[in-house]
Amino acid sequence: MKAMTKRLAVLLASLALMAPAARAQQEPAPSTVTVVASLSTGWVRNFNPFNETTRLHSTRDFVYEPLIIFNSMQGGRPHFRLATDYDFSDDLLKLTFRLREGVKWSDGHPFDAHDVAFTFEMLRQHRALDTLDIWKRVASVEAPDAHTVVFQLKQVNTNMAFELVRVPIVAEHVWSKVADPVTFTNPNPVGTGPMTEVKRFTNQVYVQCRNPNYWDAGALKVDCLSFPQIGTNEQLLTAASSGGVDWFGAFLPDIERTYVAADPAHHRYWFPPGGTVAVYLNFDSRDPGNRRAFRDVKFRRAVSMAVDRRAIVDIASYGYPMVNEYASGIGRTYQDWVNREAEKSFGRFARFDKDAARALLAESGYRDVNGDGFIDHPDGTPISFFILAPNGWTDWVNAVQLVAEGLNAIGIDARVATPEPASWTQKLISGDYDMAINGLFTGETPYRSFDNGFHSRFAGKTRWGATRFVDPELDQALDAFVATIDPVAQRRAMDKVQAILAASTPYVPLFSNPIWYQYNTRRFKGWFNADNPGGRPDVFDGTPERLLHLLSLEPVRPA
Amino acid sequence: MAFLLRRIGFYVAAFLVAATFNFLLPRLMPGDPVDVMFAQAGTALPPESMEALRATFGFIDQPLPLQYLRYLASVFTWDLGLSVKFHPLTVNEVLLRALPWTLFLVLTASFLAFAVGTLAGIHAAWRRGGRFDAVGAPAAVMLQAVPPLVISLVALYVFAIALKWLPTGYAWAPLLDPGWTPEFVGSVAAHAVLPVLTLALTQLGGYVVTMRNSMINLLGEDYITLGTAKGLDDRRLRMAYAARNALLPAVTSFAMTLGAVFGGALVTEVVFNYPGLGYTLYQGITARDYPLIQGQLLLMTLAMLTANLAADLVCLAIDPRLRRA
Repeated sequence: MKAMTKRLAVLLASLALMAPAARAQQEPAPSTVTVVASLSTGWVRNFNPFNETTRLHSTRDFVYEPLIIFNSMQGGRPHFRLATDYDFSDDLLKLTFRLREGVKWSDGHPFDAHDVAFTFEMLRQHRALDTLDIWKRVASVEAPDAHTVVFQLKQVNTNMAFELVRVPIVAEHVWSKVADPVTFTNPNPVGTGPMTEVKRFTNQVYVQCRNPNYWDAGALKVDCLSFPQIGTNEQLLTAASSGGVDWFGAFLPDIERTYVAADPAHHRYWFPPGGTVAVYLNFDSRDPGNRRAFRDVKFRRAVSMAVDRRAIVDIASYGYPMVNEYASGIGRTYQDWVNREAEKSFGRFARFDKDAARALLAESGYRDVNGDGFIDHPDGTPISFFILAPNGWTDWVNAVQLVAEGLNAIGIDARVATPEPASWTQKLISGDYDMAINGLFTGETPYRSFDNGFHSRFAGKTRWGATRFVDPELDQALDAFVATIDPVAQRRAMDKVQAILAASTPYVPLFSNPIWYQYNTRRFKGWFNADNPGGRPDVFDGTPERLLHLLSLEPVRPA
Repeated sequence: MAFLLRRIGFYVAAFLVAATFNFLLPRLMPGDPVDVMFAQAGTALPPESMEALRATFGFIDQPLPLQYLRYLASVFTWDLGLSVKFHPLTVNEVLLRALPWTLFLVLTASFLAFAVGTLAGIHAAWRRGGRFDAVGAPAAVMLQAVPPLVISLVALYVFAIALKWLPTGYAWAPLLDPGWTPEFVGSVAAHAVLPVLTLALTQLGGYVVTMRNSMINLLGEDYITLGTAKGLDDRRLRMAYAARNALLPAVTSFAMTLGAVFGGALVTEVVFNYPGLGYTLYQGITARDYPLIQGQLLLMTLAMLTANLAADLVCLAIDPRLRRA
């Protein structure tokens, strides 16, 4: 009897041990991509897509799917997501979006045009939510039927299609019950995107998983996204080098040695060109001698030719960025838009040529009148200034140092100053600077970059309109670009914009800021890279193409 | 009694002056929170967002006297307002997220440094000129001179990265969920070893030197000689006679250190990715988050003044000479 009980006990014990093992075999672990999309000292459970301070950077695109994703890397080609089509009326004042049928929110409610109309109305009622200033340019929004949305624009602007799809669409049945959408933290989001379920949330890590009702579930091959809290670039490098992060983006000095060398088979990176980084000259400089010099196009051209862009890229930025030697400053990002005529005529002013720079200054009359070793105006007014770079942004600071050295070499008295970033921004906006380094916008077309930089309505009002260079013909050309949807007319307008900028050199472009993107191929494949340029590959908030990137990922089958 | 009342009166006056400084100081810095937001966001925030952000943070644009009155009132109601950098969290919520960890880290490190440092100082002074003193005293001075950043980074590299004995960061292993489970508590303890020890090391030198010097001053006193002559055992003489009297300056400096707890330990927090008030304050300053800065400075002022008052009271209790005054 005793032996029987013993054998029974052993049998039961082994069954008990086997059962969980059997269950474990049937449930595969969810495939989780570890992502660092932003640096933070502690996560706040804020999935409010309109909040600009503590919103989690996985809210837009992953929880709230955009209507359309315009692929910047492929000339603005539309990828239709929640919308299937968009159309301008003949007078270009009405923009109609047709919505996809059968899309559901993650809680099962159907998604339709009333959600879109509600979202925009909510923006109209709460100024603090309208972070794109939509209602300055839109007169009304209507949903004539469940799958059509019509926007009435206040003035003709064909860029509005790109602007309107940047607004995240939220669920009417959830947000209509919220008392104050400005301070609402939306802890349990209901979304249309691929990853809406918050599986775990602590200060140090949170996990976002698959939307059970995702309309494009067939294309989604990854189950979850995990976001560990990382505070600084150094901590990020530590985590990434040990193989703990799959998808991130950061400026890592000497990346071959610090990151790739830790696992050469799997640690990869790709830095496609992004926005232009340029030296801005202040046409309204407070110093009269400097102002006169900056307003002389020959002086500006000499400055441009004195800068060795190749050296800046190699020394200051470890060779990551691409040089920008376009006279208009358009950059490699938009090489399909380049005005070849303008570049032929003025391209030489954007290339490093110390001797030509010196000669140009000499023939324009600049010479050392007071004997201090630096050139002055012919009447003796000195030219002397600081070039500002934001403190702590080491690659930009080093770039400015090299620019100053180049200017000193041709006899211009230029020195470097590094105020705190907030102070640098303020000086650009207020005009209390002579020269400063600055970074411009990117967009689906070169329009956003040039418009924000040189249209007179921004001059002296924003960080990007800091040159205070004003040209009515340039304004006309920029306005003409968004007054039409005819590609030929747009091309003509953009050519004119470039021609004016190339001839005037109102700023000195240096290089195209790299898009920071590093990835790990150990657990997942399908990553965007030079052989698979599916779109902008970075995982930052503000790049809707990251949704397309997520859909192209799949787990590597274990060998 | 009169002494006590005078001290309290002094502290109330000091507090009001400090509170006013705490209010003015952040506003003297160039730039306001919205400008900073645009600076830090770069091209992620388009110029169109300006009005929306000014609408969200309208509460910082009110006239200065009004803001000052609300700030003074907040001392009594402890309603410190909404943070700007961590909007829509309130300042209380932001501080409370980091407070328990800061208290744990800094208090543990401070007590450890005080206990070990004082005992070592006593031992070095008692056997002055001996082996321990000859090595220990200069070593303590050298330790005081090494910057905290160097100690933290070297410890991180040696123990966490090279030897992999201890974790590289965080307050607990990210895989665990917070709760009073033995796993979680064990993880917290393991993650606290390096930050606490490096922080304690940075403070250790000071206590050793202070204790040793004040004890050595006493060793020539008559009552020590009397005690030795009476035949008291070594330990009793060292602790109850000499150390007890030499403790005064050490206790005072310890109380002041405790007052600085609410300022956190910035270097340790950044190196070890430890959630704490030091980094919170740093972020508040760079973001010009006026409510957060003034709220945290208020907390630090109160803590420092309370610690000072406590130090005064402790001295009163320990030192009978003060009671007669």
